Amino acid sequence: MLLGLAGTAVAVGQAFCIAAALATALATHRADLAALVGFGLLALLRAGLVWASERTAVAAGAASRRRLRSDVLGRLLHAGPTALRQRHSGDLTAIVVDRIEALDGLYARWIPASTLAMAGPLLVLAAALWADPVAALVLGLCGFMVPVAMAVAGIGAAAASRRQFLALARLQARFLDRVRGIATIVLYGRAEDETAALAVAANELRQRTMRVLRVAFLSSAALDLAAALALVLLAIRYGLAILAHRLADPQTALSALLLVPEFFAPLRAFALAYQDRLHATGAADAMLDLPPMPEPAPPREVRTVAARGVTVAFEDVRLTWDPARGPALDGLSFRVPADETLILAGPSGAGKSSVIEILLGFVRPDSGRVTINGADISELVPAALSRLTAWIGQRPVLFASTIRDNIRFARPEATDAEVEEAAHAAQVTEFAGLLPAGLDTMVGEGGFGLSGGQAQRVAIARAFLRNAPLLLLDEPTAHLDPATEADVLDSLRRLAIGRTVILASHSAAAHDFSGRRLDLRQGRAVAAAARATA
Amino acid sequence: MKELGRILALWRGRAVWLAAGLMISLIALGAGVGLMDVAGRTIGLAVAFGVLAAPLALRALGVTRVVGRYLERLVTHEATFRALADLRVWFFRGLAGSAAGGLGFRQAGDVLARLVGDVEALDGLYLRILVPLAGAVLLLPGLILLLWGVGADAALSVGLLFVLAAFVLPALSARGAAAAGGRLATASAGLRIAALDAFTGLREVRAFSAEGRMLAAVQAREANLLAAQHDLARRTALAAALALLCAQAAILVALLAAGAHPAIAVGAVFLVFAGFEAANALPRAGALAGHAAAAARRVLDAAEAPPPVIDPAAPAQVPEDTTLRFDGVHFRWRPDHPAVFDGLSLEIPPASRVALLGPSGAGKSTLAALALKLAAPQQGRVLLGGTDLARLPASAVRQRIGWLGQTTHLFDDTIRHNLLLARPDADDPALWAALEAAQIASVVRDLPDGLDTWVGEGGTRFSGGQGRRLALARALLSPAPILILDEPCAGLDAETERAFLSTLNEAAEGRTIIMIAHRLVGVERLDRIWRLSAGHAVAAAS
Repeated sequence: MLLGLAGTAVAVGQAFCIAAALATALATHRADLAALVGFGLLALLRAGLVWASERTAVAAGAASRRRLRSDVLGRLLHAGPTALRQRHSGDLTAIVVDRIEALDGLYARWIPASTLAMAGPLLVLAAALWADPVAALVLGLCGFMVPVAMAVAGIGAAAASRRQFLALARLQARFLDRVRGIATIVLYGRAEDETAALAVAANELRQRTMRVLRVAFLSSAALDLAAALALVLLAIRYGLAILAHRLADPQTALSALLLVPEFFAPLRAFALAYQDRLHATGAADAMLDLPPMPEPAPPREVRTVAARGVTVAFEDVRLTWDPARGPALDGLSFRVPADETLILAGPSGAGKSSVIEILLGFVRPDSGRVTINGADISELVPAALSRLTAWIGQRPVLFASTIRDNIRFARPEATDAEVEEAAHAAQVTEFAGLLPAGLDTMVGEGGFGLSGGQAQRVAIARAFLRNAPLLLLDEPTAHLDPATEADVLDSLRRLAIGRTVILASHSAAAHDFSGRRLDLRQGRAVAAAARATA
Repeated sequence: MKELGRILALWRGRAVWLAAGLMISLIALGAGVGLMDVAGRTIGLAVAFGVLAAPLALRALGVTRVVGRYLERLVTHEATFRALADLRVWFFRGLAGSAAGGLGFRQAGDVLARLVGDVEALDGLYLRILVPLAGAVLLLPGLILLLWGVGADAALSVGLLFVLAAFVLPALSARGAAAAGGRLATASAGLRIAALDAFTGLREVRAFSAEGRMLAAVQAREANLLAAQHDLARRTALAAALALLCAQAAILVALLAAGAHPAIAVGAVFLVFAGFEAANALPRAGALAGHAAAAARRVLDAAEAPPPVIDPAAPAQVPEDTTLRFDGVHFRWRPDHPAVFDGLSLEIPPASRVALLGPSGAGKSTLAALALKLAAPQQGRVLLGGTDLARLPASAVRQRIGWLGQTTHLFDDTIRHNLLLARPDADDPALWAALEAAQIASVVRDLPDGLDTWVGEGGTRFSGGQGRRLALARALLSPAPILILDEPCAGLDAETERAFLSTLNEAAEGRTIIMIAHRLVGVERLDRIWRLSAGHAVAAAS
């Protein structure tokens, strides 16, 4: 702001220097050395100011973006998997990446430009007043047009900009979805159709963007009009005045004309930044829908639970994901004593996964109580809960990295020996041994390079490494052939010793897992048969 | 900068829009510079000769300037957005050509970064580089010509300074910023990948309390991005300051020369003032060019990756017969990997039901990849109806062979649209028949929105087994005469599995079914069974 104002002041000084030099030349056909030297010195100063103000603008934008991005990402991570139930991961990524980048304009340009937009023109106006009050009046009147036009244009533009942001995020989610499923599209021979559909979506975004810009450009046009009007009016006024010999010294005329661009320069920056601001408002509005900041830890001391001996109990638990589809859990009650195994059986959609998601803290039950060693699960902070649990899901997410790093994800501080032990226990070493780089073989996103069974075994290795007292297994052997399944179940049985286990599975082999069996149908226990087949 | 040329070549289809934008912008530029020139001249001539020059010209130039600028903005932006939309479509088509087998080691976040971020970085190519550059090319002779009256020395000096500001400085800053621009493109993709990783793995992140680690990973990538932006901004600031100095030096030259012909000099000073104003943005554009070139390279690289198997130049006629035959096939995925097939031979007659069994890693899925032309054998041949697949275009092969893979993707769309992917012209009874065969019809029927139920990202609104059955229904709906089902029953409970397998025969009457499985349940009605082991197929029963 101060740098900008100083820049304007220097520019005003230069305008007077040029005017003086030209006036001297007109009058005496000689160069006005003092004015020229003054001009040169001011030029150096001005270049320095341009350099400095560009740099401060970037620094200001960077700091605010860093703060905001941590805040938004923290909120989304805190909300956890529930955030994904309403929104596509591509949409969330667009918020964290693009929308926050869009806010840069707000901090780097809008805030400095909006403060300078008043002070800068006022400074020039004061200079013009001193040179020629009529010129100041013309400038002032033309300048006044600008904010009025901008306000009128801005009302429509803000709404259009919000809608445009929504379209942009949707398009990104769509891109991501199609990119992930590209193989499916190509193998069904639908690449051309999808490309055409994408073209339609891309065109729609263009139309939305242009709708925003058409209005935004109107405010720029108003500015151009004001600047041209001021220049033409002043040129004609001075031309006539000189002809009528009402103005003896052309210096006044020249400096007033040269002040016109300087007067409008801050306003021009303001108009440009105004577009940034519209953009930023659209981006910021989208963030209002985000989950709130994590609350500070509950006032009550979080119950600590022993590392061994975890008892889990469900008491009349009800959960509905989507009212239209009926309850997923409908008054479910059961109790798993410490170090025992519960097998959840039943067809897919019976509620097995919902039980596990509640225990993982991904979702809270609508009613009823879920307790771990007597402590209500809702009183445990997520970190405390996750320390207690190891989990193997139906669709383990593998990251693009080495097999070793993917296993280590479960416990980053684990030593290499511990990772290798876990890999061995989960029979990862068996297939990794055949790969050129062993455990350091790179896998692609989603486990590319590994078969479904191999990816599952990496997930099992994670659970081994996690070494937590409560083991949650959601169809851990769904993609394994019988021989591998038997081996993995063997490892899991070993892992289960001295831990509480909840296993959701419909595989017949898994039911050889020693433990109590609970049959689920439509979110209810139908028959609990105690089986002890140790 | 070669890459930028390639991108421009891709924009040929929008040449009319781009040229129109350029023309209008040149007119607006001329009017703007002319306006300042005539305004200055008016005063100069009035003082020196007592005439009022061209008040009409002033008004005309003013109007042209205002209207021209508005139209320029509209048309150049419209042209840019049209060109970018074309580029995205071209990119997707190229990606589809090379990624028939999936993204492989490419990350979805990186591909997305190229499709979204890098394409967007190219918006400056026309708006902020080409258009101002064309303006500068027009201004240079104009400036020299108009200043000639003041003095040849002055005109040439100003011309030289203009060349410096409009061409030399931008070129230098483009070269200096090339590395930083590349870092910026990579860093911004890195940020997108890290953020997407955190969200895709949100369940894993919560289960393993990795929130802090994920946040730190994103912040580290962000720090890279900010560092690259900072580096670029430093160069931009320097270039902008130097460009300003050139402009100021040019004004000084004009002022020094003013003594000889002061009346013309007044106009000249105003002209120089306005002319350099127009060239002011170019050094900044030079720094931008480094980033745009890096972005262009990333876009081209991803879109022009070679397909897994090159299509024949002169494809053979696609045969009617649907016998699928593997003839002495040797195959390994990479030279340093062990051989998957070592002389595999088998023949699958039309409309037969066959099963391929074998443990993990025996090459069951590789066999499907060979049949679908996602890979080509190093030795031996795969024949469809007696024609070598190498002589058929991949798209024709995939029309004949339908496939259900282990990782088939469900799109974030309705059930109906997910199914229609396999056969766009299928009517509702056909959709229900496929759902029925896949043992999921009753679940869909109980949904209030039925076929129009949204499945969620990757099918997450359904359980793993249900999602699998929707994919299965889609595969059954496909009109292809040969169906390869890779572990169709994975994730299905025993009851559903039996029901599906016993109805499979009716569901796919008259088509070849190739089932890839670890084991058989006993209810399948099969014509042949092969067991894959040690790179060969062994007939198990018939």
